[in-house]
Amino acid sequence: MRTRLFLLLFVMAGLVVAFAPLPVPAATPQAQTFRMEAGQFAYSPSELHVNPGDTVTIQLVSTDVVHGLYVDGYDISIEADPGQTMTLTFVADKPGSFRFRCNVTCGAMHPFMIGKLTVGTNNLLFRSVGLVALAVMGVIISIKQKT
Amino acid sequence: MAKIELTRGPFIKNALKSRYPQLAVFVIMLVGYIFAILAGLTGTPVGSRNFSIVFVWIAWWAILILVAVPFFGRGWCAVCPIPLPGEWLQRGSVLAPHDKRPKWLNLRVPKIFRNIWLQNISFLLLALFSSVLLTSPNITGIVLAVMLFGAIGLSTIFERRAFCRYLCPVGGFIGLYSQTAPIELRIKDKQVCATCEGKPCYNGSQAGYGCPWDVFPGGLTRNTYCGLCMECIRTCPHDNIAINLRPFSADLAKPSTRLDEAFKAFIMLGSAMIYAGVLLGPWGVLKDAAYNVGTNAWFIYAVIFLAIIFVILPGLFTLGILQTKSILPLKRRFASLATALIPIGLMFWVAFSLSFVLTNASYILAALSDPMGLGWNLFGTANAAWQPMLTSVLAPAQTLALVGGLIWSARTAQKAANEVKVSSIPVIVYCLIATLVMLWLLL
Amino acid sequence: MKRSELLSRILIMLAIVGAVGTPLYVWSQTPLVHAQMSENGGWNPDILRVEVGKPLHLKLTSDDVMHGFAIGQMDVDAVDVEPGKVTQVTLTFDKPGIYTFYCTRWCGLNHWRMRGTIEVNGSNSEPQPASAPLYVSLNLDIDAPHDAPSVPNDQPSAIRGQGLATELPLDLSAEYYRSHSPYQAFIDLSNTSLTEAQRWDVVAYLWRSNTTKESLANGRQRYTQNCAACHGENGAGDGVFADDLKAAGDSSAQTMAGAQDMKMQTPANFSNPTRILGASPALLQGKILRGGMGTGMPMWGAIFAEEQIWDLIAYIYSFQFEYHK
Repeated sequence: MRTRLFLLLFVMAGLVVAFAPLPVPAATPQAQTFRMEAGQFAYSPSELHVNPGDTVTIQLVSTDVVHGLYVDGYDISIEADPGQTMTLTFVADKPGSFRFRCNVTCGAMHPFMIGKLTVGTNNLLFRSVGLVALAVMGVIISIKQKT
Repeated sequence: MAKIELTRGPFIKNALKSRYPQLAVFVIMLVGYIFAILAGLTGTPVGSRNFSIVFVWIAWWAILILVAVPFFGRGWCAVCPIPLPGEWLQRGSVLAPHDKRPKWLNLRVPKIFRNIWLQNISFLLLALFSSVLLTSPNITGIVLAVMLFGAIGLSTIFERRAFCRYLCPVGGFIGLYSQTAPIELRIKDKQVCATCEGKPCYNGSQAGYGCPWDVFPGGLTRNTYCGLCMECIRTCPHDNIAINLRPFSADLAKPSTRLDEAFKAFIMLGSAMIYAGVLLGPWGVLKDAAYNVGTNAWFIYAVIFLAIIFVILPGLFTLGILQTKSILPLKRRFASLATALIPIGLMFWVAFSLSFVLTNASYILAALSDPMGLGWNLFGTANAAWQPMLTSVLAPAQTLALVGGLIWSARTAQKAANEVKVSSIPVIVYCLIATLVMLWLLL
Repeated sequence: MKRSELLSRILIMLAIVGAVGTPLYVWSQTPLVHAQMSENGGWNPDILRVEVGKPLHLKLTSDDVMHGFAIGQMDVDAVDVEPGKVTQVTLTFDKPGIYTFYCTRWCGLNHWRMRGTIEVNGSNSEPQPASAPLYVSLNLDIDAPHDAPSVPNDQPSAIRGQGLATELPLDLSAEYYRSHSPYQAFIDLSNTSLTEAQRWDVVAYLWRSNTTKESLANGRQRYTQNCAACHGENGAGDGVFADDLKAAGDSSAQTMAGAQDMKMQTPANFSNPTRILGASPALLQGKILRGGMGTGMPMWGAIFAEEQIWDLIAYIYSFQFEYHK
């Protein structure tokens, strides 16, 4: 009976950690511009950080061959030839961590040409860490109970 | 939860006993495999538009790691085409045995190789070159051909499926992870085997061949080395062999104490984490190092890769378990507790694979219509655009897999720790830290 | 042998032969023209042959990155040649000769070297000799330095120049424009009562009169697609390959008969008045046609038609002069 209660408690705690709405920091959205170089097989800078609601402009400069930029989650993309900087502008209305990747085959390692865009905080990562900690706590408690 | 015998009803049992359904699947797989070799060697060098890369490293890999291994254990081995030409030559038949068998050497594999160390090494060889292998059709074609002809060669020298049991890089890890699967092949009644004369399940008979996997079915207690080839179901004169549905990871209740298997667990854990960082991370310098085989950067990458797998991960693990006091030798504790790494290892691979499979699965449509990049359009999908799938679901799915894997490993650690009479806490903490690292790398 | 065994063996053999034979056969029947980065071999094959008047069907594919295909000095739309995909092109040539095909999407530092030839055989008419380009008939040494001894302090404006030029006896002909550098035109105006700045404005106006808005737009597009990668999107010699060119030059021992300045180097800076105002259109045309002889500047003679080169040159001067508001 007690085990059932603990299990229920942990499941509920898990649901809270996974789904409870987190306070959104009140940052005023601004316009941010990034000059991003793309070369085989990485972006520079390869990690971008913006706040939710920002209007993000990425100037894609290809430095060797034709590259693209596709943003997971936002499903938007551009491609740029060397010598022709192309611009992608969007509003970062979805918070979280998103990978961006090349969508013009640019050589062997093209499928792994990846960067990371973080809008606000990577809440999913924190929730996962919370769930993991909760899970381990639960397991250790159940071990202690048995011994 | 009890076991449910799937072969109780005649439909499934006869479908498995008959050689024809199996042969049909074999032919399809062999044709696909050979075509993959040829497409790799003669088709376009662009991986995303070549059948060999798309169907081996995206389609087949996805089915293997997301479906076949977690749910069917060594189910892939049941249909794999690699051993077939060699085995048909070795047996002198593609269906039931003949009276006259061809005289091949049929040597027993030397004792020193009868473990999975060769498989650990063959997997690591592929792993160190994986960036090149996964992206170059001709390299994939060559590796597939080498495995096929290697298996044929070994079949003419050694008995049974020597390649599959002792050399195949894939078999090494799906054997280890098959312990988590909810199906198994076991005998029904030990007494029947005790009084069985001749043991045709192992030695063969007119109805079928002795176990190609060099396993005595009567002694099978875990899935690791049974390739689900169904020969023993055909040869057993007492109908004493069954395929059962059972709880997940039932085999891990009695953990193995083999060192080769323990290191396999570390190899898989380490390589999943390294790939998550190198291939899916934003650090271009790592990708260059991994891809440019032969350069100084690659040597450093290879050394670090091997150091993580053979020194850092097992070393930290050993430090952790040294804390606990026990009368049992360290080696036994190490190997036994390392089985707890099997569930998280599997889930690490599931989480890692989900990312590149969902991102690139759309290539499958194009590869079906234009498998060699020659401008065909067999099914009208040759110009299907690249479009990542289910991207909003990916990160939560990875989280579920990793958290679920951790809980699963923690429970496995408990059982393993009970067997060797130590605390499971160090192993659980180890799994926790590994999971946190993997979450950070993937999310 | 039992019948089932025999049939099974036949089935397997047929399946294997099919699996091996079909792709090999089709592959051998599909001649492709492979596009590869220059560093990986360039076009393969790089010599194609056809009879005059007969259609040439080409199946183009890229083996590595995004490429393009076009024929030099022919009014044929460029097509993209995508990695792993096949692009079909049919060409018909009216005149015999050797045509150059080239890559139209930047594919690395040596993109411009990615060229091949199409030999069109046919009628027995004699090949017509081409006329010598202007720099040859003017006897210009296009490798000699051409710095303008003095330059304007501010950017000259053709709009202001237009107002000033009404009273002047200006030679707005193409012959004068093409054979004189802006500095020379500036000197030729010294017999007027204008200030130096005003004379530069008139030169700007003279330069603008020898082109049109449409030509400038064409020149701009040609520049963006062919020149910006090295010379920079704003003409400052700071394109994405500028550093690589300099590094290649520094590490190479390639010099032309002791001429250090003929090794690979940073591309010319078109926003540098000293260098550009001292160069006549004929000189720039010479450099574009003939290339840089080891400096890394490509030779475009087989690629661009004459009108296209004049448009490009007009655009290059627009880095120096203000033409329109």
